[in-house]
Amino acid sequence: MRLKDGLKYIATLAKVFTTVLILLIALLIIQSIIIEAVLTFSYKKTSPTITKSEAELTPEEQRLSRIIRSEKEFSPDGTIDLIYQPKRTPAREKESEIVQVYDANDNLLWEGPRNKKPYEYLSWAEQFNTSRYGVVFTQREMKQLQMITPVFSRNIEIPVGSDNKVKQVWRYYTAGEFFVGYDIDGSKIGYIGSSGFTDSKTNVKPFGDFRFFTAWCQQDSSSPTLLWQTKRHIYQIDFENRQVEPIFESPDTDIERIFLHGWRDLALSTKEYIDREKYQPLLYCETKDNKHHLIMHESKQQLTINMPEDWKNWVGNYYKFTATKQAVFMYRRWIETSHAPDYSKSPEIYQKWWQSFRSQPQKYWVELYKVDNHGNLELLNRYNWTVSGRPESETEFRDYRAVALRIVNKLSPPFYDFLVHLLGREKFWARALEYQNRGDFSYSLARMLLDIRPQGSIFNRLLSAVMMVFAFWHGWPRRTSWPKFLFWLAFVGIFNLAGLLTYLALNHTALIKCPACGKRRGLTQVNCIRCGEGLPAPERGKLDLIFNRA
Amino acid sequence: MRFSALLRKEFRECIPWLLLAAVVFFGFGGYCLRAFAFPRYGYLYNPYFQPGSLVEPYRLTNYSALQLPGIWLSLTSIGLGLILGVRHFWIPYFTGTWPFLLHRSVNRKTVLAAKLTAAAITFVISLGFTWIVLYWYANRPELFTLPQTARIFIEGWIFILLGLVVYLGTALSGLSTAKWYTTKAFGIAFASIIIFMTFSQWQLFWTFAVIVIGIVILLSQVIDTFLNREF
Repeated sequence: MRLKDGLKYIATLAKVFTTVLILLIALLIIQSIIIEAVLTFSYKKTSPTITKSEAELTPEEQRLSRIIRSEKEFSPDGTIDLIYQPKRTPAREKESEIVQVYDANDNLLWEGPRNKKPYEYLSWAEQFNTSRYGVVFTQREMKQLQMITPVFSRNIEIPVGSDNKVKQVWRYYTAGEFFVGYDIDGSKIGYIGSSGFTDSKTNVKPFGDFRFFTAWCQQDSSSPTLLWQTKRHIYQIDFENRQVEPIFESPDTDIERIFLHGWRDLALSTKEYIDREKYQPLLYCETKDNKHHLIMHESKQQLTINMPEDWKNWVGNYYKFTATKQAVFMYRRWIETSHAPDYSKSPEIYQKWWQSFRSQPQKYWVELYKVDNHGNLELLNRYNWTVSGRPESETEFRDYRAVALRIVNKLSPPFYDFLVHLLGREKFWARALEYQNRGDFSYSLARMLLDIRPQGSIFNRLLSAVMMVFAFWHGWPRRTSWPKFLFWLAFVGIFNLAGLLTYLALNHTALIKCPACGKRRGLTQVNCIRCGEGLPAPERGKLDLIFNRA
Repeated sequence: MRFSALLRKEFRECIPWLLLAAVVFFGFGGYCLRAFAFPRYGYLYNPYFQPGSLVEPYRLTNYSALQLPGIWLSLTSIGLGLILGVRHFWIPYFTGTWPFLLHRSVNRKTVLAAKLTAAAITFVISLGFTWIVLYWYANRPELFTLPQTARIFIEGWIFILLGLVVYLGTALSGLSTAKWYTTKAFGIAFASIIIFMTFSQWQLFWTFAVIVIGIVILLSQVIDTFLNREF
């Protein structure tokens, strides 16, 4: 095959790809506009009706409502109290709000400002969120830092100083997964990796695939210390003293999330302060194999919790841990109903389950367990309450987004279904849609493909068939070769509307009547596709001397 | 010989734009960089790092000293690509000089190669050399506390490559004979998609992959259209 022919094939393929890609994007934009417009105009319709006001409730209903809305708190001795806040005053600090404390038998024990209550309850390790721990920095934020933007990617740089002066800066190198230290005059100090400080690049060991970090200044320092979590390790990095302390290692499975309680040595004035006289610094780590690990910093003790296997079958499982100086406790909250079906597999089945869940009364539980030195759990106390189901009229509201999707995805290419099937639903898509990938181009693409694909709709396939018939009608007199003609028919069938528009953009030619057979024929083929005669030639004239056709 | 003559002709036409791009990028980019050019900039004592306090993670992130020149580089590169694409492939329509250029005793491949080479040389001289100078300046330890990373240097060249993508997209739109529902503009639209995809990447490998695939797709169409269409 000559180079020119090869180039022609590549150029033709490139032309088809460019055209169909742009038309698919244009179609997607139109589909998204339609869906958002439907959502905007149907907003009021989708909002469930408001439940009865407090004044309309019977005394028993008022009691149940109070129990539902109460915080359920445990004392270190296992006693449970319900803390109810009758009303919230706008712009008032939560701590000074009036609360009522009830015991488990619904007797009012005390009423007054929240920060004056005479009872002390266990505080718990909580997952990082923006309200309590400031902005979190995860793999997602690290990707955003490295994102190629017009102002270039950014770096993590840890300043180390004393006497109100910065003396060193440690910069994280994402390619090598280690820190490089510079003096303020620009000279290199050394490297910090998983094995600690070294002055040679060849000796530095990478930390590993980054997942999360939090930073704070120790009580005696104004230089940040970092808790650095990678895929399977957790380290504490003290840049001032150039020390790296390995905290936790999960050799077989990835770390899912971590929670801290009193881990960071913070000043009394900080909002996140935990009294270290009462509590041990605790790091609670959940791994992807659903194991729960506790690391006590002071005692260097590490526990793996032995959870009963059947717990994962219930809805709303939520665990919290804390470690006082005397004992380690676990808080469990759950709902006594079997777990929900996967929304991504079938939104319809999930919707039915959700409506059934909302319309039936549900029993909620909170439980307090004591954790022994081997990770075994001993139930100390439990409490339950029932949330009545909502009437059918409240649960039966239409999901207008799903309706809009069902309508607009009729124009989506069946190719999307094929692609989803080809790439394997479980592995590829689950990985693409992981939480830390949110904001990625691949995440948006995967989310869009799964949402907008026609999901084997018969109407979609019929529409494709109609477009194929149209392409056949249009292409029959214009055809230049059978393989090309069949390719375009298949293309239109696979890409639906975008395929038809691509076909027309790249193949439409004017028709003439063949002077030999009298049937319609396109102008891109020299010989008539039906009778084989050539295009009509002009009469011989004076200009033939110049434009000699022989 | 004929190629070098054509190349000189095309390059001569590029020179005003080459100079303009170099002046804009070096002038504005250099001026912005100069503002950062004293040691310890950004490393003054941070009042948020108090003993016993929590540190907001974003207080530990820093932009490169080349961040503002980066904006000028990306804008100048895209602008230069657009202008050169129009100069090489649209203006001959308006001035009616396509037949004059193509009737010479050189084949179309040579004409196209001269245009593409002139454009590439213009990018390298006006933006590439200027970028190297600014990067070198930003790595002087007596002026900047921390050296610039190699990644920043590579990202600068990615911006220059994006200018070439825009050039090819503009060229394709200029050469295209398509008429249906704005398909003539698909070359520029495709170049815009490549820019959008590049600015949503965080891994250099995939960034280069996107750009290289984009260039191959556009270049093959530009060559095929230029060699086969009627002028």
